[in-house]
Amino acid sequence: MRNNLKGLAGNLLFALNTLILFLLVFESKILVPQWLQPIGRMHPLMLHFPIVILILSMALEFFRYKEEYGDQGFYKSFTSNLLLIGAISSAVTVIMGLFLAKEEGYSGSILQWHKWTGVSIVFIASLIYWYRDANWYKPRVAKGAALLTIFMLIAAGHYGAALTHGEDFVLGPVMSTEAEQIPIEEAAVYEHVVKPIFEAKCTSCHNTEKIKGELLLTDPEAIMKGGKTGKLIIPGKPELSLLLQRIHLPEEDKKHMPPKGKVQLTEQETLLLHLWVKANADFKKKVVELPENDSLRIIAASFLKPAVNEDRYDFAAADDNTVKKLSNDYRVILPLAKESPALKVNLYNPAVYTPKAIEELAAIKEQVISLSLNKMPVTDAELKTIAQFTNLRHLNLNFTDVTGKGLQYLAPLKYLKSLSLAGTKVSYNNLSQLSAIKSLKQVAIWNTSITSAETKQLDKAHKGITFIAGYKDDGKPIKLNPPQLKSNGFIIQNSLPADSLGIKHPIKGVEIRYTTDGSEPDSVSALLEKGVHFTKNTTLKMKAFKRGWLSSQVVTADLFKGIYKPDSLAVLTTIAMSYNNGKKRLIDGQLGGMDVNSDSWLGLQGNTELAFFFDKPVTLSSILFHSITVGLFGKRPPEIVEVWGGANKSQMQLLSTVKPQLAPGENRPSFITVVECKLKPKKIAYLHIKTKSAAIFLVDEIFFN
Amino acid sequence: MANEFMEHALNQNRRRFLSKLSLGLGSVALGSLLVPDLLKGIGGDDDFGFTPGIPHFAPKAQRVIYLFQNGAPSQLESFDYKPKLREMWGQELPASVRMGQRLTGMTSGQASFPLVGSFVDFKQYGQSGAWVSDLFPYTSKIVDDLCIVKSMYTEAINHDPALTFFQTGAQQGNRPSMGAWLSYGLGSENKNLPAFTVLLSRGKGVGQGVYSKLWTNGFLDSIHQGVQFSKGEEPVLYLNDQDGLSKAERRKMLDNLAEVNQLSYQEMGDPEINAKIQQYEMAYRMQTAIPEVTDISKESDDIIKMYGPDCLVPGTYAANCLLARKLSENGVRFVQLYHQGWDQHGNLPGDMRKQALDVDQASAALITDLKQRGLLDETLVIWGGEFGRTNYSQGALTKDNYGRDHHPRCFSIWMAGGGIKPGIVYGESDDFGYNIVKNPVHVHDFQATVLNQLGLDHEKLIYKHLGRRYRLTDVSGKVVKDILA
Repeated sequence: MRNNLKGLAGNLLFALNTLILFLLVFESKILVPQWLQPIGRMHPLMLHFPIVILILSMALEFFRYKEEYGDQGFYKSFTSNLLLIGAISSAVTVIMGLFLAKEEGYSGSILQWHKWTGVSIVFIASLIYWYRDANWYKPRVAKGAALLTIFMLIAAGHYGAALTHGEDFVLGPVMSTEAEQIPIEEAAVYEHVVKPIFEAKCTSCHNTEKIKGELLLTDPEAIMKGGKTGKLIIPGKPELSLLLQRIHLPEEDKKHMPPKGKVQLTEQETLLLHLWVKANADFKKKVVELPENDSLRIIAASFLKPAVNEDRYDFAAADDNTVKKLSNDYRVILPLAKESPALKVNLYNPAVYTPKAIEELAAIKEQVISLSLNKMPVTDAELKTIAQFTNLRHLNLNFTDVTGKGLQYLAPLKYLKSLSLAGTKVSYNNLSQLSAIKSLKQVAIWNTSITSAETKQLDKAHKGITFIAGYKDDGKPIKLNPPQLKSNGFIIQNSLPADSLGIKHPIKGVEIRYTTDGSEPDSVSALLEKGVHFTKNTTLKMKAFKRGWLSSQVVTADLFKGIYKPDSLAVLTTIAMSYNNGKKRLIDGQLGGMDVNSDSWLGLQGNTELAFFFDKPVTLSSILFHSITVGLFGKRPPEIVEVWGGANKSQMQLLSTVKPQLAPGENRPSFITVVECKLKPKKIAYLHIKTKSAAIFLVDEIFFN
Repeated sequence: MANEFMEHALNQNRRRFLSKLSLGLGSVALGSLLVPDLLKGIGGDDDFGFTPGIPHFAPKAQRVIYLFQNGAPSQLESFDYKPKLREMWGQELPASVRMGQRLTGMTSGQASFPLVGSFVDFKQYGQSGAWVSDLFPYTSKIVDDLCIVKSMYTEAINHDPALTFFQTGAQQGNRPSMGAWLSYGLGSENKNLPAFTVLLSRGKGVGQGVYSKLWTNGFLDSIHQGVQFSKGEEPVLYLNDQDGLSKAERRKMLDNLAEVNQLSYQEMGDPEINAKIQQYEMAYRMQTAIPEVTDISKESDDIIKMYGPDCLVPGTYAANCLLARKLSENGVRFVQLYHQGWDQHGNLPGDMRKQALDVDQASAALITDLKQRGLLDETLVIWGGEFGRTNYSQGALTKDNYGRDHHPRCFSIWMAGGGIKPGIVYGESDDFGYNIVKNPVHVHDFQATVLNQLGLDHEKLIYKHLGRRYRLTDVSGKVVKDILA
């Protein structure tokens, strides 16, 4: 029974082979009836069986003559049966394939290759089945036949896959697509924007190998010709063009393109095709030839990379471990970008630099595209090493010890674009060697011996290179900055030495001259130096002078005499919120400067009363309030100040009443205001000061004289 | 409690491990070299194929120096020349121009909005023919290196939200600052210096506060926080060893401390402990690097003349510009300057002149200085405030005095270097300098452009925090391709 079945199968195989031969011979005359089409379309389903079964069977065939297998009955019949099944299934697959190929849309050399490799698999497998027990069928023949079958399987599979998925399907994702990234200036609408969309989404079915619907989308002529259903594009009328009609059909519709299941067009792509057809489907126009606010231009631009003269790096990436080993705190190696083999190297800290730091980079000499040696004691010798970094684009040698002579070593750097030589010993004559480097675009030569005239010569001699000369001192003197003051106000108790003013100037060798009479200091005014003392209320005007510079602006400091200091004080009323920095600030000898928010200021608002006590009675003739006025924010002197005092608490009498008047210039943002109450000289131990103020009266110090 | 920590750590690692499998191990190994916390198990999001420390694509700029003019300088007295405002001096702002723009509390009560033109004249400079006011004589000489954007706009109308918006992409705060994002995205170029530093200075005009929230790391790892330099003798506070402590002792102390911290990390799994260990190590390396980098006493006379002698006075804008160049030259990714005092609500003619005097020479010198070292191509310099100022006067308008209130709808900034097209003026405002008529640039567009120049795709620079994915540009922003070189 079993043998009968096998015999039947063997006959079936023969019949199938005959059918295949028949189909091949009369291929052009055959019309596949519609009801057979589904059979043909099952080809992609069926084909997996012969592939797997035949490969397995051929593997077994390969070892068939091994002694330990040779006499096993099971092995024998199993291999034979398996081969038979494989051959039959391959024959069925081929017949289906031949039906499918009759459907429209399949043609071209890939189809031919696929057809003939597929057919030959059937024939070879059948022949092996029929003759494998013949006498002449020796191990060597068996092995050769097995290998041949497997090879054919692979070939047929490959061509088949190329037919359905398009060429480069497998390797597509890893193959470089950068070539398509054309700068916007050069890009053409069709060639660089529309065509890539067709290529990505359409041409896997509408190409010369496989012309579905008789539509070819690979060249302009064919695109304009259209396909079976008619013209694809009616220039200027996207709504009438078949291209967009098909795209806009619902995805479930059979005529929707790309067919359901394939990668669909994005909205952006659809819009672009619409706009392109609307703009008469021009195949020549460049993107930049369109008006600047044209929608097509804007959308097309979004498909293109911004204009860049991108470097392409086609060398291999360095080994991660090598990079890791070479990296340290003072030699930083960074990848240029994700998936880029290019590396940038920066060296830091001259103290630890040795030429070895560069020599060791030889391990990644291909990958270094940028090297910064700013301020490293690099000498000409290391330039020889650097010359091996053949892909170097940027070299920073600023403030290194290289001399012009070393530049000749850089000639092999055929990609070098920018070279920075600021602060080095290079001279004009050395730079002619740079003409050997054709790629060079920019050379920084600031702070070298090269003169302006020589720079002009260089510009003339090297047309493609920009020489950056940078800042050149024109010899015109510039203005000194004013002396630095710790404060604009100081207090003299008896005598104030000049050096206690803490006046400094950041530039060495500067002289500070001053006046006390209100005039502007000049270069012969008195020098503010050690030994100068101030003893009375003074407005000090100061200016900085230095040979070769213009004198500075005037700065002013007010020196206030404050002979007596109360031994204690009391605040009898309240102090304005947020300006309550402690009553002691009023007699601590520290002035607040111009910052209202500093913690020196006390705010008096409304009716306030302060009391001061002197342990030993003093003779007072003047009381001075050091205050700040801020026009914009309601900080100003009070309406009225009254001074009451006496030798003891019970003998207090009104000594002075002052109604401060604001000086003109009230609108200035903020300025120091001094309110003085003059008294008839009188011995005083107890003192009360009353103020009445609608705004806040900000005081940082009160002087008693 | 300890168990919860443990659970947290385990969860993180499992998720991390699974998601990491899809990524090439090579890039992880390399990335972990640059950003040590890569394998630690927090943040990052591999759905977007991002490896911290490795740019998405080849960057044009390696570093940024951001000269923030805090308080908002008036565009109408700097780069946006509007002769019509002088013609219409004192006339009422037409409602058709204002179009319902909300006002601050400072002018919303004002009965009239008299237009006021610039008190200074403008001239055209350079090959680009850019208009620059006479307040900026040094900047006018370098316009061919600048890209002046006259069509910036923002969403906030008060200083703090506007400033926070510019720096972090959100008005409310607590999001990472731009510098922190860059530190996270690109890592450090110099392991001995922080990747993100902050320098403050203050002009004589009315100031607005800056707070450390502007240079915060937000939800990113603490090592990405901006390090504020101070103006005293010690630029980095508490960096020097106490007297009598030798280098070897310090090293030993740090080693022991790290050991204890490591134990604590193993027990708790709190990533902040690791950040702490790294910060101690960074501080140790900074002890040698900082004095060298911040020493300005060895700068040549040329440099002093370029930046102006104020560059020798610590804490001035000029000194900070010089310091910014030195830090940037030494591989600091993001140097953030703030110059306070640009809030000219009143007394604009007097105060703005002083402010311009503070910044003009040094800003221009910084560009020239970078250029002459061949560094401008790889350094992006940005100059600008948080919004603009109104075209009408705040408070009384007199012949020679006026003020301007906040104006978010249109203002000017400039950028230079770092792959930005030099010598162009981008965008236009209407004749009133009030609304944008061409090429508007939103703050998020600006941020997207900055990231783009550093090789980062703003839509892919993402950090997952509390179940949400965050970007510097939140959910909007387009790279302004027109200004790319």
